[in-house]
Amino acid sequence: MATTEITPGKAYGFFTDTSVCIGCKACEVACKEWNQLPEDEDEIGFLGKSLDNTGELNGSNWRHVQFIDNVPDETLSEGDGSAFLLMSDVCKHCKHASCLEVCPTGAIIRTEFDTVYIQEETCNGCRNCIAACPYDVIDINPGKNVAQKCTLCYDRLQGGLQPACAKVCPTESIQFGPLDELRAKAKKREADLHAQGLKQANLYGHDDKVYGGLNAFFLLMDKPEAYKLPNAASAVLPSRNNIGGYLGGAVTAVLGLLGTVIALRERRRHGGEPSEPAEDAQA
Amino acid sequence: MTNHWRDIRHADLILINGGNPAEAHPVGFRWFMKAKLERGAKMIHVDPRFTRTSAVSDLHLRIRTGSDAAFFGGLIKYVLDNKLFHDEYVRRYTNAAFVVDKGYSFKDGMFNGFDEETNAYDATTWKYEPLPGADASQQSPKGLGAGAKAATGLTWSAGPSATLARLDIEHPRSVLNLMRKHYSRYTPEMVERITGIPRAQFLKVAKMIGEMGRPDKVMTQVYAVGLTHHTTGSQMIRSAAVLQLLLGNIGRPGGGMNAERGHANIQGNTDNAISWEVLPGYLKVPAPGQRTVADYFEQSAPKKAHPNALNYFGTNYGKFLISLLKTWYGDKATKSNEYAFDHLPKPAGNSSWITIFDQALQGKMEGVMLSGMTASSIGPDSNQVQKALGKLKWLCVMDSLPTTSSEFWHAPGVDPSKIDTEVFVLPATHWIEKEGSFTNSGRWLQWKDQVLPPQHESRHDHWILADLFLRVRELYRAEGGKFPDPIMDLTFPYRDPAKPAFDEIAKEVNGKDLKSGKRLETFADLADDGSTSAGNWIYTGSYPESGNMMKRRNGVQDPKRNDPTGMGYYPEWAWAWPLNRRVLYNRASADPSGKPWDPERPGIKWDAAQKLWVGDVPDYPPDADPADPASPLPFIMTGEGVGRLFSNGLADGPFPEHYEPIESPVKNPLHPEVSASPAAFLYDKAAGRPSRFGTVDEFPYVATSYRLTEHEHYVTQHVERLVKLQPEAFVEIPAELAGEKGIDTGDMVRVWSKRGKLEVRAVVTKRLGPLTIDGHKVYQIGIPIHWGYVGIKTGQHWLANALTPFVGDATVRTPEFKSFLVNLEKI
Amino acid sequence: MTAFADVQHFAGDPEWTWYILFYFFLAGLAGGAYFLATLLRHWGTPADEPLARLGMYVAFPATLICPLLLTIDLTKPLRFWHMLVNTTPGGFGLNFKIWSPMSVGVWALLVVSLFTIVSFLDALARDGKLRAPLAGVVAVGGTKAWNVVGSVFWLFIASYTGVLLAVSNQPVWSDTWALGGLFLASGLSGAAALLLLLSRYRRGAEASHPVLEVAERLFTALEVLLLAVFVITLIPDGTLDDAFGMPWLLLWLVALAGLLPGLRGLAVGRLSVTGGGAVAAARVSASAMAPALVLLGVLALRAAVIFSVQG
Ligand SMILES: Nc1nc2c(c(=O)[nH]1)N[C@H]1C(S)=C(S)[C@@H](COP(=O)(O)OP(=O)(O)OC[C@H]3O[C@@H](n4cnc5c(=O)[nH]c(N)nc54)[C@H](O)[C@@H]3O)O[C@H]1N2
Ligand SMILES: Nc1nc2c(c(=O)[nH]1)N[C@H]1C(S)=C(S)[C@@H](COP(=O)(O)OP(=O)(O)OC[C@H]3O[C@@H](n4cnc5c(=O)[nH]c(N)nc54)[C@H](O)[C@@H]3O)O[C@H]1N2
Ligand code: SF4
Ligand code: SF4
Ligand code: SF4
Ligand code: SF4
Ligand code: SF4
Ligand SMILES: [Mo]
Repeated sequence: MATTEITPGKAYGFFTDTSVCIGCKACEVACKEWNQLPEDEDEIGFLGKSLDNTGELNGSNWRHVQFIDNVPDETLSEGDGSAFLLMSDVCKHCKHASCLEVCPTGAIIRTEFDTVYIQEETCNGCRNCIAACPYDVIDINPGKNVAQKCTLCYDRLQGGLQPACAKVCPTESIQFGPLDELRAKAKKREADLHAQGLKQANLYGHDDKVYGGLNAFFLLMDKPEAYKLPNAASAVLPSRNNIGGYLGGAVTAVLGLLGTVIALRERRRHGGEPSEPAEDAQA
Repeated sequence: MTNHWRDIRHADLILINGGNPAEAHPVGFRWFMKAKLERGAKMIHVDPRFTRTSAVSDLHLRIRTGSDAAFFGGLIKYVLDNKLFHDEYVRRYTNAAFVVDKGYSFKDGMFNGFDEETNAYDATTWKYEPLPGADASQQSPKGLGAGAKAATGLTWSAGPSATLARLDIEHPRSVLNLMRKHYSRYTPEMVERITGIPRAQFLKVAKMIGEMGRPDKVMTQVYAVGLTHHTTGSQMIRSAAVLQLLLGNIGRPGGGMNAERGHANIQGNTDNAISWEVLPGYLKVPAPGQRTVADYFEQSAPKKAHPNALNYFGTNYGKFLISLLKTWYGDKATKSNEYAFDHLPKPAGNSSWITIFDQALQGKMEGVMLSGMTASSIGPDSNQVQKALGKLKWLCVMDSLPTTSSEFWHAPGVDPSKIDTEVFVLPATHWIEKEGSFTNSGRWLQWKDQVLPPQHESRHDHWILADLFLRVRELYRAEGGKFPDPIMDLTFPYRDPAKPAFDEIAKEVNGKDLKSGKRLETFADLADDGSTSAGNWIYTGSYPESGNMMKRRNGVQDPKRNDPTGMGYYPEWAWAWPLNRRVLYNRASADPSGKPWDPERPGIKWDAAQKLWVGDVPDYPPDADPADPASPLPFIMTGEGVGRLFSNGLADGPFPEHYEPIESPVKNPLHPEVSASPAAFLYDKAAGRPSRFGTVDEFPYVATSYRLTEHEHYVTQHVERLVKLQPEAFVEIPAELAGEKGIDTGDMVRVWSKRGKLEVRAVVTKRLGPLTIDGHKVYQIGIPIHWGYVGIKTGQHWLANALTPFVGDATVRTPEFKSFLVNLEKI
Repeated sequence: MTAFADVQHFAGDPEWTWYILFYFFLAGLAGGAYFLATLLRHWGTPADEPLARLGMYVAFPATLICPLLLTIDLTKPLRFWHMLVNTTPGGFGLNFKIWSPMSVGVWALLVVSLFTIVSFLDALARDGKLRAPLAGVVAVGGTKAWNVVGSVFWLFIASYTGVLLAVSNQPVWSDTWALGGLFLASGLSGAAALLLLLSRYRRGAEASHPVLEVAERLFTALEVLLLAVFVITLIPDGTLDDAFGMPWLLLWLVALAGLLPGLRGLAVGRLSVTGGGAVAAARVSASAMAPALVLLGVLALRAAVIFSVQG
């Protein structure tokens, strides 16, 4: 769905409606072609994870279509987008982005389109963002040797073009647009599905419950966990451990100091003080 | 397609039976999803496998391969028994009331008219009871005004010889009553025994489909090669069409019989006589003994069978043929020489694709030219096909890339020193390297641009052929020959005869008035006096004087202007044959009085004020007033003027009947004695070769073969991105069977049939599973077709078609790629 | 997060492996060494000076090796300085991100190196290996203020390595706040053991043994305490078996073995100290095994934490 105008300063993102994804992988290929991502040789090979041979999001796969095969062994089964979960995964462009929080070089920035972007020239490959991203999105690009992920087609947006993956998606499972419009659409779609009796349909990341809201949010046909998405309760930021961690260290330091002081005192008490000053110890 | 891609969004129910559009037609599939998203349409996918299409369907039905005729038979019975059919439509718009000749019979799986000698039916014995003492010309409607002609090119005119049928729907031998009798055997129990679909589940689906007989409901039937790749393929498709006629869904927006075609321009190929038995525009190939155009016409053209039948095709058959001959032979085609009718071959035998390999096997073929198709990979029975190629003196492959055919002589396990065939490879441009028109499934002729300039020394196919033709003609000129005329007389009116331009050819195909030299707007202006030419009458109008209609691009950029009806016809987007009509038979979208069956989704409607039909380009005389009792019946192309529930169009029966695949796990529960189609042609038997068919005790599993989204047959083995997505040959194995055999995903397995084997990886899944067929537990195994011994990931030389049987459909000889027997073991 | 509700982790691992392991190891030991040296020099007796210097010598190489390890661990080593300087186009100035332990840690490492190098030179001067005027200049490296500040930074370094892991979304690491303390405690006990071990090569250093031994016992106790906290904090998040499953359990056993000498000391001698001098010197050689075991434990502990999560 082409958005006519793309204006800096406005928040953009994706609404990925997994209930209409047909797992064609056009998004995967379009992304690789537009961004000229290298094929990771040692990754070429048969995985046979259902129909998936890409396996994961990584430095050379910024879109990855998950195939989660829960099809019942029945002569008649209801597809409804729930039995055979097809989901095109991507960087969520979190409002509160774990990766951005920990990056020591400032390589990760929030762009004028409110997307999360890794500056290729700044990143030095410390991989702290990888440890931080709760969605296993980032990885080192084998060609460039820096951390990479979906840029939300920063270059295309700057040129007034919608992202490549959204453009090729034949079923409009990937919808690009201004966040507010997408959220309205998503609510309606969820309501429609509920009306059709598909109560399991649920939105993930459309509101601030998950990382303050995801610019790339999803309509799911199963629990978030089923798609390797942490539920709201588990969606926490790395910084939650700063204070606790440092306090723990500080307390230990004090106790350590105490211990050493005790050790010194004990020696004095037991008259373990060396009688004559050790050699060449000028006061 | 009777309708077109965009139209699918008007459906209330989408029955996908014999296709996997989400994977094979992902872009067209957007319209299926729109139907779901925008009007809450329901989608049913009937397929042996649960696929990416099933994933987004409301219901998936697991069916045994090759049993669809029984499934549709059951639906037809259900609709008839429960009076769910669209009554008025059936009475007025189908041949339900036609009385069938008393010679008709059906017993123990055999129709009347079978010849034990030739193992073939004489289809002409399937006919109507003549109307006593009727004279067609008197009863036939009179001519219409010129206005009509200009608008759609349709005029009424009496057909030539007519044999009017007796009409009486109550008659025991009325088509409707014979049908009731014929399908009475297709009970839900019988459907369950044959298809493996449990009775209750069948009835659940039958109920949903039955509702589509209501005038305000419409169902589209979508299929592709899941129905065609069977020895009974044409009949399976016909049975679906019969159902659609009963439900009154033919001719209506959101309805129709919609074949999703294959290669981007396979529809164009078919329209332009790629298959041996037709000339361009589906005119029959002349048969031996037809000395004059009149003979040909008499034997080939549909006959008027109802006084109000326009029988447009039959009536104008001669004009189309003679205009074609004028295109080919120009001034050499004269009244005195029957317009060079004798230059056309009158083949006595079948020359379909399997037949060609069969002839080669028998050493009756000297050389073969392959252009844009890979004989070895296509199959069937690749080992036998490659043997056939090895018996040729020469093989010429025109392709842009190496194929398993250009390389067959050094295929794995083949000793080149044992192959005498001389193989020529002519580098041809790939279609992305040339402009020209593609005709899509919806019959739209869309002109496309060249994407890349021709690479290296590659040449366009038609340039290669033109060059070849000029050299052959030169040889004839120099040396003479038995019958040089067809070659010497052929027109070749191109600026550079060695390099015809697509634009020149497109104009030639459109045809022109030979006196004025002006190109024609409509095939209605074609004449049978040699004053007009047309390379393909159904394409006439695609390139009139006003310009190349195929290049038109007035689409969604301005829906208000470009889609006046709001029905998505976009009449100024490209051009659809015939006459830019977007939905065929659209007269049937309105009731006899001219009111649309469903005002929400009008096809065309009668505008009493203007005294014209408005909406889509009417498939009907545009000013034929429905109030006029003499106005033509809605199906203007057929001799009956109505849709055919009973037909002699196919070689294996006037009513569709279920026959087992040639290799089947069970005997046909309907008539075990005549289990498979008696009319299917058995090549090996006929040629005296030992049988290459397996039996269920040797080969206990049913296999079917199909495509994956990630590859385009064999050619994409040259495309790295796609090879990465599906890097290796595999077969899909039902979890339960895999359990029994201790097979896990990723294991290597051997799958073999009577004809050959694969040794590939296993993908274990519940998307395939067991069925209970006539009391036996039957497993189905899934075999993607895409791998071979050519491509960037070498070392994979498994051709799916090593497994498939060398046999074809009774009428069109399409191979039985979709059901055959195999065995399986873990390596 | 709600207690006892399993936290879902789907993060991918950063492949922080051997370089990082040895960085953590060295940082812990050097930090402890500088810290102990400082206390012995300024709050012990003049007789502790030899060991104080030993401590300064021990801390020094870490200031060279640690940054090196960190740098070669980068996939773009030549861009190490991007940690310090903002290279964002249009941006300018220095990078300091209080919420990013890595950012904070890099700066701390820079500062601590300065302090350690000077203290190291001062030690050399005191050993007469440097002449004036340089000796005079570096004398500051031996002053109370200098050593205390240096120690504070070293204590930070030794513990932030744990916080660095915790400030992520990795299972185990991010499920506990105890890692910073744990690493510090084991760093301290490791340092005590290391100094005990090395003191044999420095005349007079054995004078401080009693202090080191008792300290070693207390640090061990502290480490045990934090291990307990570590385990307890993992329970609600249900990641215990991620950390302690096979084969990592073996590493943990080695780590525990490293605690034995300290615990044995506590059990047998409690806080009592037998006089230094000859007696101690005699025991040193005997107990050479014990400190070695402790050091191995320190390495194993970090290895277990690092690899169990990424393995
Ligand atoms: N990605 C991709 N798209 C393609 C092509 C390609 O190679 N790759 N090829 C193009 C061409 S040339 C063609 S002809 C079309 C073909 O398009 P499709 O016909 O849709 O393709 P297939 O996968 O051959 O078969 C479709 C389905 O038929 C099912 N099937 C098998 N046997 C039976 C049966 O007896 N009954 C029923 N109801 N279903 C059955 C199979 O399980 C399969 O899911 O695709 C075109 N589009
Ligand atoms: N078992 C089994 N077998 C099957 C099928 C099945 O479902 N099961 N499907 C059958 C069907 S429906 C089909 S259509 C066939 C497909 O079989 P093929 O048509 O043989 O398959 P493609 O790989 O599409 O081959 C097309 C070739 O045309 C070349 N080409 C492309 N453009 C041009 C051009 O402009 N000129 C020339 N000269 N060459 C060009 C390409 O390089 C490629 O080599 O397979 C059939 N075989
Ligand atoms: S998904 Fe991961 S990489 Fe993307 S913004 Fe959120 S934290 Fe960063
Ligand atoms: S790897 Fe690059 S982007 Fe990620 S945290 Fe380090 S510097 Fe920042
Ligand atoms: S937005 Fe651009 S970069 Fe991100 S996944 Fe889509 S195509 Fe790739
Ligand atoms: S392109 Fe669209 S439909 Fe195809 S896999 Fe990607 S998201 Fe799904
Ligand atoms: S390959 Fe071409 S024709 Fe086939 S679905 Fe894609 S776009 Fe349409
Ligand atoms: Mo095809």
